[in-house]
Amino acid sequence: MAILALRDIVKKYRMGDSIVTALDHLSITVEDGEFVTVSGTSGCGKTTLLNIAAGLERPTKGEVRFRNVALNKLKEKDLVLFRRKFMGFVFQGYNLLPALTALENVALPLVFAGIARKERLARAMQALELVGLADRCRHKPMEMSGGQQQRVSIARALVNRPKIIFADEPTGNLDTRTSAEIVAHLKEAAKRDRQTVVLVTHDSNIAGIADRIIYMSDGRLVDE
Amino acid sequence: MKANDLLVLANRNLWRRKGRTILTVLGMTIGTVSVIVLFSLGIGLAEWQRVSMEQWGSLNIITVSQAFFYPGMPEEERDKLRLLNEQAVSEIEAMPGVLGVAPAFTVGGEARKGRERGYLQLIGIEPGKMALMEFEPKAGRLLHDEDRYNVVAGAHVINNFMQLGRPGPAAVIGPPAGRDSLELLDQRLVLTLQNARGQKRRYTLNVVGILGPQFAERAHSVYAPLSLLREMHNFINQGAQPAQVHLVEPVNRQRDQAAGLQRVRRRERLELQYSFASVRTKSVEYTKQLGEELRQMGYQAHSIADQLEGIEQGTRTVQAVLGGIGAISLLVATIGIINTMVMSIYERTREIAVIKVLGASFSDIRGLFLTEAALIGLLGGILGLVCSFLLSLLINIYAGAAIGAGAMGPEAPPVRISVIPLWLTVFALAFSTTIGLIAGLYPATRAMRLDPVTAMRHY
Repeated sequence: MAILALRDIVKKYRMGDSIVTALDHLSITVEDGEFVTVSGTSGCGKTTLLNIAAGLERPTKGEVRFRNVALNKLKEKDLVLFRRKFMGFVFQGYNLLPALTALENVALPLVFAGIARKERLARAMQALELVGLADRCRHKPMEMSGGQQQRVSIARALVNRPKIIFADEPTGNLDTRTSAEIVAHLKEAAKRDRQTVVLVTHDSNIAGIADRIIYMSDGRLVDE
Repeated sequence: MKANDLLVLANRNLWRRKGRTILTVLGMTIGTVSVIVLFSLGIGLAEWQRVSMEQWGSLNIITVSQAFFYPGMPEEERDKLRLLNEQAVSEIEAMPGVLGVAPAFTVGGEARKGRERGYLQLIGIEPGKMALMEFEPKAGRLLHDEDRYNVVAGAHVINNFMQLGRPGPAAVIGPPAGRDSLELLDQRLVLTLQNARGQKRRYTLNVVGILGPQFAERAHSVYAPLSLLREMHNFINQGAQPAQVHLVEPVNRQRDQAAGLQRVRRRERLELQYSFASVRTKSVEYTKQLGEELRQMGYQAHSIADQLEGIEQGTRTVQAVLGGIGAISLLVATIGIINTMVMSIYERTREIAVIKVLGASFSDIRGLFLTEAALIGLLGGILGLVCSFLLSLLINIYAGAAIGAGAMGPEAPPVRISVIPLWLTVFALAFSTTIGLIAGLYPATRAMRLDPVTAMRHY
């Protein structure tokens, strides 16, 4: 069963006086529990695709369906609920809050979801254990290496037990070995809970461990 | 997002930039201090004025007398004139807010005290009403019902007396002019009165009490039993000319055409008319109101409270000006908070985008920034309050003592010129927090509207 379906997506940006077409009539379907990577050269529209799929941006044309809901038609209020309940997100630059400890950073999505302190810290701890960082839970992001920060970031994306996880170049700032470790963590966690992962990367080594690789060029699908 | 989580997170964010937050709080502190201290000066001024008015005379006593008749007085005003007689006293006594009325006669004359001579202003009062009229003896006692030739003297009466042939100190209002008022206690004063026929009569008076310093307007008078004064009054008015009498007898001229009858009636009336009457009221509010009513009824009425009204109006103007000056510094502090919050949002643009992606709603983000701004306001308010109390204490210790001494003599107690009542404390805290909230409104709305995708590209 398809968990995510993008149909005939067009996204155009205004850049100064000219209009740039980032996505050009693109259609993708992602099955439930699938680990999909999106690859392509820089500027081919990967990140835009991810943002639209995650409901952070609205397409100029076309439809985004999560299960049976059209994300592109949801109101902001309902999109917030979708993010809290069904979605996890891993950023390229980790984007942990520097004032909070690793544990608090992981628990942050549950704060917004209104979950009580005791429960959310327990769940955050479980998520940290999953990425092997339980012993670093009291450290602030500045006291950790890039790889550790990205693992914390993955734990944060897992903590609300989402149905689908979006990752935008999660290994972009890391060396090859750490990158492989990180992606392995993500894949392992996702397979355990039958979570769907959509991962954007330009690194062919990482793309290799996916169930399915999508290649993009100039806003179009070129290969699967 | 829950309220206590919001508060904790906002507080954490606030202290990430300690220096900037402290400076902004400091701005708010100065704004709050200026408002509180300037307000407290206005309040202190009003209270000080009230206290100094009370030293002059009671705020609960109205002095009522007959309005003057003058030739050529308009008809409607003349018809309104009322005599201050027995009937009038009982009428006034029945008015709401009146605790008691003490009618009085006054007589002035020259008196001797041993080898000294001086002018006496004698006022008759029913002995039983002295306590009600807030008389307080500094030494000796007040009058009793059985007293006949015993009197109570004001604190400055002693200064009216001087040695024969030698100039004495002039009587002054205000600080005592040297002589001890207790010198007069248990002394004999011999008063000589003369009536219109040229007859003389001597009265020997015993001073049994000296009044305390509380009401300056009583300091120059000697108080004697009303019955004695009535007798003196009758003596003085013997042989008074009808022309003189005419001025105090304005009513019903047409009806009393027969000259003989007219003279008899006037004589009767004269004996019954009091010089004035003191009206004791329940409160200052009643004093103001009753003073107005009595004037409407056709009497002359004055009280210290009448002057209070005018002075209070002046004080309110001063308070408004002081408050306005304070408000300006508070406005500057408000702009400081807005600036800090806008800066903070620029710095945290990326972070705001991240928490939006993690599931923060519009209202979470707005609430976060509003709470931060309100916290700055509240902290500034608390700190400002503490500083204000310290400053107020210093003002009262140093400036207050100097002003007190300047206005009422060197021994005067220090004046509290800065007063911070409880309501001002509560108001200041609520107000500074509200100011913080208002200041946070614009930055918080900006943060809320940030587009996460655009913001993510921001470094």
